[in-house]
Amino acid sequence: MKIAVVVQRYGQTINGGAELHARYIAEHLARHAQVEVLTTCATDYVTWRNELEAGVEQVNGVPVRRFRVKRQRDERVFGRRSHRVFEHRHSLGDELDWLEAEGPTCPALVDYVGKHAADYDFCLFFSYRYYHAYYGARAAAARAMLVPTAERDATIGLSIFPPLFRSVRALMYNSPEERAMINAVSANQDVPGVVVGIGSEVPQNPQPGRFRQKYNVRGPFAVYVGRIDQNKGCKELFEFFQGYLRDPSSKLTLVLIGQELLPVPEHPRIRHLGFVDDADKFDAMAAADLLIMPSYFESLSMVALEAWALGKPVLANGRCDVLKGQCIRSNAGLYYESYAEFHETLHAIEQNRWLMGALGRNGRQFFREHYDWPVIERKYLDMFDRLKRDTPARAVDPLPGWFDRRRQDLPAAEEVLRKLPGGPVLAGAKPVPAEPRGPSTSPGHRPSTSSGHGRRRA
Amino acid sequence: MPDFNVRADSVNVEQIMEQIRARIREKRGVDYTEQQIRDLAAVKLEKFLDPKGVRSDLLEQYRKLQPAYEPPELPNYEFEETTLYETHRGLLRFIRKLLNPLLKLFFNPNKLVQALHIQARLNTMYAEREARREAARRASDQLTYELIHNLVVETTRLGIEAKNLKMRAESLASRLEFNERRARALESVVVYKADEGEAPISPRPAPTPVSIPAARPAPTPPQQQGPTAGAQTQEGPGQRSRRRRRRRGRRSGGPAAAIMGGQPSTAQPQPGAPDESGPDNRDAADESPETNGTATEDLAQFSGAATHPSEPVAHPSDGDAGQGPSKTDPETQ
Repeated sequence: MKIAVVVQRYGQTINGGAELHARYIAEHLARHAQVEVLTTCATDYVTWRNELEAGVEQVNGVPVRRFRVKRQRDERVFGRRSHRVFEHRHSLGDELDWLEAEGPTCPALVDYVGKHAADYDFCLFFSYRYYHAYYGARAAAARAMLVPTAERDATIGLSIFPPLFRSVRALMYNSPEERAMINAVSANQDVPGVVVGIGSEVPQNPQPGRFRQKYNVRGPFAVYVGRIDQNKGCKELFEFFQGYLRDPSSKLTLVLIGQELLPVPEHPRIRHLGFVDDADKFDAMAAADLLIMPSYFESLSMVALEAWALGKPVLANGRCDVLKGQCIRSNAGLYYESYAEFHETLHAIEQNRWLMGALGRNGRQFFREHYDWPVIERKYLDMFDRLKRDTPARAVDPLPGWFDRRRQDLPAAEEVLRKLPGGPVLAGAKPVPAEPRGPSTSPGHRPSTSSGHGRRRA
Repeated sequence: MPDFNVRADSVNVEQIMEQIRARIREKRGVDYTEQQIRDLAAVKLEKFLDPKGVRSDLLEQYRKLQPAYEPPELPNYEFEETTLYETHRGLLRFIRKLLNPLLKLFFNPNKLVQALHIQARLNTMYAEREARREAARRASDQLTYELIHNLVVETTRLGIEAKNLKMRAESLASRLEFNERRARALESVVVYKADEGEAPISPRPAPTPVSIPAARPAPTPPQQQGPTAGAQTQEGPGQRSRRRRRRRGRRSGGPAAAIMGGQPSTAQPQPGAPDESGPDNRDAADESPETNGTATEDLAQFSGAATHPSEPVAHPSDGDAGQGPSKTDPETQ
């Protein structure tokens, strides 16, 4: 079996959520099939500048074929087009222009996929929102599988994506919430799909003591791992935690790990360690009392899964449906939607050791049952087997003609998003239409692991 | 393979969250979510306040008053050297160009072009400045509207909070009044019984600094009887009435719970000073053990009568104002 993994960026040093997801999947599927990665020469997701050599190279034993990006992203043009399609009534042509502006515009990659699709059994496209996935999946529709990594942001409201969700052979979702959202936006319930997610390379014996000694961290602490960014909910976290510190019974320190894009408040009980390597990261998580995940937008929080794998409870932002759903399904984390809830939940975890232990145990069990690598690999292999037996039933909807593309009859993506059902997917619970959560999505917002409504066009 | 299922375990996150929310509601009184407060602010504020003239849908009203802003399309004021001779007809342009030197014989068009060019630039500058001002004014208006809107929301929030606090204050006041009445009733019962029990009081042992409950029916060890027994027998009616007066004085001045032997005082007993089961407690126990127990329990709950943290704690050695007679009190010896 030969599999092509098509992703916007790829490399050992690229730690973006969807890119890391693609690398892990490629490396693990390589044990069961012949895997080739098709990607661009870019390493920066903002500019898509060509920084790597085009051609074939090996990354961790997996062949990677790189193609040059035709043009870099122009932030001003992208911002203007984003504003147009997200906020105003617009045309299909506007959306296609937005996709071009977003990039990575790499026609060579799409041509290659179109010409060589027959060489692969399946082509696995990552991140629905990018140029390579949209045009690549259309070029190889009969073999295309999509890992959408969709989040609840305005992009999902664009009309170009529902036909894509309906035309691929299968979708590998990250969470039940993501599946419910994509089903609602594109009515693609008949397309085979499974909630898979991703595993993680969690070390068997992390060294919490070593971490405490190395960074001189004493006493109980909560850890946050990830970009320190407003889009990740860090601003709110700082406000809430500073409020919590005023509680005389609290002993927790907040330890932050990751690149700082937002000023970290100066307080003896808020410590920023900067970017650390994986060993230190896992040691820190093992030493921590809990992990705090303040993000509003997540399609799947790998960090939360890693914390659970290490038996640590998670305190998540309840306004993120995926995180809330994960906490409830796993019974391994609490969530907050206001300062009062943040204070009480954090206090409950800090003061009740049995609760902390029970949540951690549930988390470890949840990870083993759903996110251990053998489980993930099995879900992919089962899907390949199923698709091999089935014959592709539908053809790709052709793009409309010149006049239809310029008809200004599509609603603003934000408006579509507002009408989508929200809330965590729980057994017996029915999602309700919800307002978008968290801060408004800026045009430059990028998904953390990374994700359309529209109408079926004739 | 099933995707996910909810695991049954001893911990139920939803249940814990419910408990946490209930605790938050308890702490904050009525708990409104942000959305609920906004909804409340959107309805008529008269329900909560009396804001004569304040309209709850201010933001909407402002938006209605102000039409959607479209930046004005600036007119084309450009005036260059060639503008005078411009035409879309090629032949005409050629002829004009050809005759231009002839025109210059009659007057100097350059001056005219220059003046018009300057005027065009002035027009453009003015139009741009106006557009900028208009945009700034719009932005400022938006901020003002937001501010007013937020004020309305905050006013509603404060109104709700004030109402909650008022209700809580009323509830506390009524409880306080009830408990005061109850305490008075219990005290009168105690006093009444004490009067009735005058006859059995006389054989009672006199108060001593020794912290042994004398009210107990158990026989007193002989070594503890000596001077105490003597004092008992020497107690006269005058002493009894004085003791009663002291007791009344203590009831009105000292913490009732401590007097009645309820909640222990925060002050540590001094070495050699009588403890909680000292003479006064013995008196009370003698008077009515059952009533005393009930009163103690009730009064312990009574916030006004219980020792308040801010109240000065009476020291046992402070004489009449204290818990009981001091070791050196001449009246008790």
